Amino acid sequence: MREVEAALAAADPVDRDRLDQFDLGATEAELLADIEGEQSASPFQIETSRRRRPRRLALAAVGAAAAIATAIAILAGGASEPPSRAYGAELVRFAESTPLLLLEGPGWRVEDVYEAPHGPYWPRGSSGEGSMEFVTGKPVPDETIHSTQVGKPQHIQGSSALYMKFREKGMLPPAVRQRKVELRWSRRSLASELEYAHEAPHLHGQHWVRLPVLGTTADVDTRAEWFVNQGGRSNRQMTAYWSEDGYLLELKAAVPDLAAFEERLAWLTKVDSQAWLGAMPPQVVKAADHDAAVREMLRGIPLPESFSPSRVPTAGITTSRDQVQTAVIGTVSCLWFRQWGEARRSGDRARAGEAERAMSTYERWPLYRKLDRASRYPAELIPELVAAMPSGHYEWRPGKRRRILPQVEALGCAREGIPVLPWKQRRQSER
Amino acid sequence: MAQGQIEKGALGHELAQIQFSRLYREQGRAMLAYALRRVGDSEDAADVVAETFLIAWRRLAEVPVGAEARLWLYAVARRTIANLHRSERRRTRLGGRLAESLRTELATQPAPAGEAAEALRAMGELGDEDRELLLLVAWEGLSPNEAATVLNVSSLAARSRLHRARRRLRALIEGGNTAAHRSSELDTEEAR
Repeated sequence: MREVEAALAAADPVDRDRLDQFDLGATEAELLADIEGEQSASPFQIETSRRRRPRRLALAAVGAAAAIATAIAILAGGASEPPSRAYGAELVRFAESTPLLLLEGPGWRVEDVYEAPHGPYWPRGSSGEGSMEFVTGKPVPDETIHSTQVGKPQHIQGSSALYMKFREKGMLPPAVRQRKVELRWSRRSLASELEYAHEAPHLHGQHWVRLPVLGTTADVDTRAEWFVNQGGRSNRQMTAYWSEDGYLLELKAAVPDLAAFEERLAWLTKVDSQAWLGAMPPQVVKAADHDAAVREMLRGIPLPESFSPSRVPTAGITTSRDQVQTAVIGTVSCLWFRQWGEARRSGDRARAGEAERAMSTYERWPLYRKLDRASRYPAELIPELVAAMPSGHYEWRPGKRRRILPQVEALGCAREGIPVLPWKQRRQSER
Repeated sequence: MAQGQIEKGALGHELAQIQFSRLYREQGRAMLAYALRRVGDSEDAADVVAETFLIAWRRLAEVPVGAEARLWLYAVARRTIANLHRSERRRTRLGGRLAESLRTELATQPAPAGEAAEALRAMGELGDEDRELLLLVAWEGLSPNEAATVLNVSSLAARSRLHRARRRLRALIEGGNTAAHRSSELDTEEAR
């Protein structure tokens, strides 16, 4: 039957390359405006979907023209400046009931926000996960921790599982670490997470308490230290677990004592969308500003024909600037490598050469230089891939070569709907 | 309204627009391709896409998340096309810019020749459901299970029907080739 399939594929009337380059964003705004203006009832009867999602918010009637134009301007990422209500997308968060929380202690602020990417090609359940970092005083730098094993592996009490003890070196002083609080949210079950946390090794023994937080009660692991030389006087690590509106919430903090952790829990405050977004620092990109941020990051980067800003995925209503930078360089690279792979297979030397020349300029990309200075992924991968483009292979061990396209997929191409491997392209339609 | 409270009506509307935008950007190209492959011209295809997303807008809460959203949209587009063919009048055209963009940017391929042309001819002799099943797999790249969802049949039914449809298509293609060859031989004989 393969010849039948091949004949059908050859008869496809759609030019896939042109489809790939079609800029949806340019038509979106008008289409939405037309749809909202459509008055006649649809004559089309469609079956009731077998799967219903509960309607969280009733769709309101069409709002004021200004509000519509505003929202459409946000959606279309058009040339007009984002309006003052530049955070329409945070409503996704609100409607999905992800808690809008801030740590409103004196001198504390949001340092960063991370939302797990999600989309048609990401694993189910990856949406609805994220974290926030709050700090007071100067930003708390990343740590480079070296750990060395202490003693022999031991059994976790009541279990056949083994664990090892480690001593750390390189942790920041407790006074610095205690200037940071991390809040995580996910769709995992509270019960499962508590079970897991109770079963985890506790180097200084387990001591759990229950503390009030946001009108409910959290289970608090007061001895959540990881290293044997952690957890001394005024050097504790604690984690609180609770659930809210279907989300598992975790608050992790280094603290001098339990009273300080209680204080941090008490500082957690539910806020409205305006307050929440107003608290976001410059390094957090709001969804409405996403396209503008992407365009700024693209300075000096040669772009393939198939690129458009809408191809760079948004993680959610807010995204850390680091995340957007990684997504931008990943999207551009994946598109160039895909062009390169397809051109090599079809014998189109011109297009393959174009992709090679474009990628070879990576050292001059301001965005690449920024990632490289910070030693951030995928800065270390790109030079290796680019060097291997002329031959199409890289040496992974002396005398052992591999094709580069499977390695290119490590940029996350398929996840973002831009698969570079032929078999993934056959399996996956693109964004 | 007290400070800090939310106007759910207006916010719900903006929420819907955000969700719609995401749906359109993630699935728009697939719907364009689907429509272009099944209707004669780009304006009709733009109509189909616009109507499909109109229905999606009206039933936004029912649209599944993730990859299943595409299957839901295919099912809607399929019914939209069926009604387009039946309808005796043009609906008010939505998405004028979409139609214009399709005309200028997304030209379809030249008419196929050879085996591809034979395959298309043979497809025309299949039943509607069999043809659609084959095209969902061959052109839209769906798995048999996914195609079953679009057609609202069981996976088992889709698989067995797909197998029969492929065999029938092959027979039609070979039969057409035989007929063409026989016709060619007759022409040659008459010419002598």
